[in-house]
Amino acid sequence: MRRTAIVSVYVLIAVTAVGALALTGIEGSKHDFSNEDWAGEDACGACHTPHRSVPPKTAPLWDTSADLSRTFGTSAADGSTPGRGTTLCLRCHDGTIAPAGAAGAHRESFAFSTHPGAVSTGYATSEHPVGVEYPRTDKGFRPLTSVVASGTVTLPDGMVECVSCHDPHDEAGLYAMLVTSNARSALCLTCHKK
Amino acid sequence: MRGWTPALIGLAAIGVMAGAAVADESVVNSKHDLSSRGPGPIRATEESEVCIFCHTPHNAAPQTPLWNRANPRTHYRIYQSSTLDARIDQPSGPSKMCLSCHDGSMALGNVLSRPADEPIVMTARTIPPGSTDLTDDLSDDHPIGFRYDRAVSNADDEIRPPELISVELPLGAHGEMHCTTCHDPHNNELGDFLRISDQMAAICITCHDKDGWHRASHATSRKRTPGRSVDPTERLKYGNVTSNGCMSCHKIHSARHPERLLRARRDEDNCLNCHSGAVANFNIAADIRKRSGHYVPGRGGVHDPAERPFTMRRHVECVDCHNPHAAQPNPIGRVRGTLGQVVKGPNLHVPGVTLSGRETDDSRFLSEICFKCHGDGVARPRLQTTRQVSQTNVRLEFQVSNPSFHPVGGPRRNSDVVSLISPLRVGSTITCTDCHNSNNARAFGGSGANGPHGSLFEPLLVRNYDTDDFTPENAEAYSLCYGCHDRDSILNDESFSRHRRHIVDIRTPCSVCHDAHGVYRGQGGTNTHTNLINFDLSVVSPADSPSGRRVEYTDTGRMSGNCTLTCHGMTHVNFPYSNSSAASKSSGSSLRGLSGTRQGGTR
Repeated sequence: MRRTAIVSVYVLIAVTAVGALALTGIEGSKHDFSNEDWAGEDACGACHTPHRSVPPKTAPLWDTSADLSRTFGTSAADGSTPGRGTTLCLRCHDGTIAPAGAAGAHRESFAFSTHPGAVSTGYATSEHPVGVEYPRTDKGFRPLTSVVASGTVTLPDGMVECVSCHDPHDEAGLYAMLVTSNARSALCLTCHKK
Repeated sequence: MRGWTPALIGLAAIGVMAGAAVADESVVNSKHDLSSRGPGPIRATEESEVCIFCHTPHNAAPQTPLWNRANPRTHYRIYQSSTLDARIDQPSGPSKMCLSCHDGSMALGNVLSRPADEPIVMTARTIPPGSTDLTDDLSDDHPIGFRYDRAVSNADDEIRPPELISVELPLGAHGEMHCTTCHDPHNNELGDFLRISDQMAAICITCHDKDGWHRASHATSRKRTPGRSVDPTERLKYGNVTSNGCMSCHKIHSARHPERLLRARRDEDNCLNCHSGAVANFNIAADIRKRSGHYVPGRGGVHDPAERPFTMRRHVECVDCHNPHAAQPNPIGRVRGTLGQVVKGPNLHVPGVTLSGRETDDSRFLSEICFKCHGDGVARPRLQTTRQVSQTNVRLEFQVSNPSFHPVGGPRRNSDVVSLISPLRVGSTITCTDCHNSNNARAFGGSGANGPHGSLFEPLLVRNYDTDDFTPENAEAYSLCYGCHDRDSILNDESFSRHRRHIVDIRTPCSVCHDAHGVYRGQGGTNTHTNLINFDLSVVSPADSPSGRRVEYTDTGRMSGNCTLTCHGMTHVNFPYSNSSAASKSSGSSLRGLSGTRQGGTR
């Protein structure tokens, strides 16, 4: 049994390694924290660990005290909360919660920094809404099927999340880790009918 | 293969058309596409994103929708007008977003998502001067920043209630009007980013419900407006009057006459640019420049739609008599007779003053429009003739209770008037324009426009009317009078038995004895000013009589009366006349006046 378990762990590690090799985009990207002390030794370690089981299981993070129930954006009046495609990002990018290494000694300063990645939660209207259902009936937006068919913007469970536009693994290697090029505002116009 | 080629071309054509249609409805490839591949002359040199000039997904300005620009200035010069019911505030909300480019002051490439020292590099730093640069002076633009509520629509019955406005024209969160009420910055399908087409005034009449507009000439005329015939400074958007709609006269942005957003700086030019033969049928511009005319350029800038007839300063503009939102074509033919007084096409929906002296927003009779200036107001013109009874208030002169009057205010039953030319008869009514009209008016056999625009004959008379003493009688001299009063009847003494003697022999013009308008009952006795007798004191002077020196006419019954006066060197003292053909005449008075012939009854 024990041997089987060890083999399983090795298999898992191997699979993860192969996966990491396939996701070459993250290496050298801004999400590549492999040189940081706090992040472990590989590119995945900053966000992923194979052994930790505190929720959420699929993307174990280092600070489990984060409030994941906050809403962002103006359209969340229905009380919907962001999905994991947003909350996991906000663990760093809400500007208040950050790994000690990233924020240095000034943990709170991250919120007020001019770091372009900081999402200021103070002004809900200053950020594109996330954690909201895609507006299927609004004539200012393209049909949901059209968005799905684009193959670029993803709508997990029909919701708009950070990962709808951003790819944290930076596979495409684009500005701001976008899922597709925004030349001619193509990314915006995938959903917005303007 | 041969069969495929046309099919492929067809498919390609459909594809291109579909592509073009999609592009029209999108901000992409519209003039608001400021990216490096945008269609306009103003665009980025490198930036390829389209939305970025206004929107950013993160760290936007604290206002929807994810605004990526700083606010422009806080103070603008705002629209003002004497006829404005709404309270105009400084621009706010979405209007300020538009103004962050369109006031021409802020750099187009300055966006929040870029560091201030690294703006997007553009072909033009700001919007260059021109039609899209509204500047900080918004007084010449359609007002924004006012609350469009029931208070506004209640105050002006030509403004629709806000709840009836099309949902296509969205108001702000508090019901206020913004740039975005008319414009959709993302959709230039209709041109000028309009939400509803401006062709045939469609977008304007959504809110502006002008009385009489739908049947008005300016709404229906298909007259062509080529080149710069309407506005010397720019071509109109469409090719004819009906399509241009409101824009024929109004300019919604940067109007040269800011108040009421008129296209031309001078009031009358808004009319005369077309009504000079350039677009409209008749050359009114030439008519008003005649010897006697309603010369509208004369007192420019005085007219105000909010003016009151009794207190306004003297002036005349086209819009004093015509309502450009309601005017319709003139019925062809001679406008005279019992229906001649009722307001017709060109003068529909014009304010006036009724015969009884009450202001009205919608004159029913043509004379009510004239009374507005020629009646009680301080602006009325001076008298041209010095008469026994002096009255400059034309409204009073036409009261039906007067001892005599030309039948403008109502019919008059004076059976002494036997000279009328059919279809006129005793009891007919006429109106001001039967005498006062352009001398080339179509209704009087000419080829010009009807109406008192201008005439060769003073005072703005349709025909010649000599008032100089010792005028030799002929058909032309008193052509005005002879138009209705048969010359033969007059000269054959069918009513006044001495007409021929006075007019032909002594060469006395009609005007020496008759006052063409009437004599107000408050000034003239009931039997001393009948038959429009009101002597011209520059010709007639008093005579000594048993009751003192006086000028007096006394009506003594049908076609008979007597006079006391000195005229042409002759003196009448109670000098009687009567018409032998008339059925009734008063006896006993004929001998009394014989002394009047003492100084020579004949020359």
